[in-house]
Amino acid sequence: MKLAIDETRCKGCNLCTKVCPYKIFKEGKKPNRRGIVVPELDRPERCTNCRLQHLYGRTLCGVCQLTCPDQAIDWIEEKPYELKKVAIEY
Amino acid sequence: MSFDDWYRQDRLPHIYCAGCGNGTIINCTLAAVDQMGWKKDDTVFVSGIGCSSRAPGYIVTDSLHTTHGRAIAFATGVKLANPDLHVIVFTGDGDLAAIGGNHFIHGCRRNIDLTVVCMNNQIYGMTGGQGSPTTPKGCLSSTTPAGCAEMPFDLCELAIAAGANYVSRWTSYHVKELEKAVKVGLETPGFSFIEALVQCPTAFGRRNKFRQVADHVEYLRAHSLLKAKSDRLLAEGKPIPEDMFVVGELARRNRPALGVKP
Repeated sequence: MKLAIDETRCKGCNLCTKVCPYKIFKEGKKPNRRGIVVPELDRPERCTNCRLQHLYGRTLCGVCQLTCPDQAIDWIEEKPYELKKVAIEY
Repeated sequence: MSFDDWYRQDRLPHIYCAGCGNGTIINCTLAAVDQMGWKKDDTVFVSGIGCSSRAPGYIVTDSLHTTHGRAIAFATGVKLANPDLHVIVFTGDGDLAAIGGNHFIHGCRRNIDLTVVCMNNQIYGMTGGQGSPTTPKGCLSSTTPAGCAEMPFDLCELAIAAGANYVSRWTSYHVKELEKAVKVGLETPGFSFIEALVQCPTAFGRRNKFRQVADHVEYLRAHSLLKAKSDRLLAEGKPIPEDMFVVGELARRNRPALGVKP
């Protein structure tokens, strides 16, 4: 699963940047075509729900999706797992 | 299946302002409805007039957008005509407390099997920020430019006094708790009233020093007092701070309900 922001729905209120426990959402810098500064994703593979949703069979955290007033945050299916180098934080 | 399936995808994005908390409350309510496992054909959403009352227009089930303040009256009719339906009412504070006040207390008195979700943004947001019955004392609005001089309405106390079966209050910050509260309200036979305090950046926030949306959400978080803590303060005889409001499950009882199928 992959975390994704729907740019056609987001209105740029930046509430998601406040609620994520991993601080995945960062305030955006450039306005998009509609003039809305959509938040950026900082290493979205850290999201618990992306990694473990299929394993547990339910939504795990999901606070960003519940909080988003514009229903812009969703998890989309992605292609089968590709190996990727990830720096581990201590 | 998630709550996103309950939205009319062709109607989104909705017309609420950027940062409006109403969308959050609809998310939480639909997540609770989704967990109940009800069919979309058996569920009806009813609303009156106002910002919050545009919500049923974005929900894929049957919905009624009725006259100002009369949402509970229409919902009573729907429920009594067909007790098999699950009826959920979305209202705002101006809709429920001001013009629909009598419908509200009589809905509580009759204890009809409804779930009422009140999105209390403490102002009339749609018509330009006039003061509503729930505007806190001292807050600025376009009709109270020197600060509201009246005491606000406590809707939960009103619902408890009028006889609702389940009453709870949460804010748009407490999303998980609100979802659980709505679910308990849906399961409870009889009148369930859930008040959700929401931020209104356009009409309330800009007049009351909440320039950013997050400032208002942070205010709601910092000024909410859990029910357990307020009970403890009362038991110890300490005063409850003036500007704080109690959140949590305020009443749950088993009075005989109307409109429940035997």
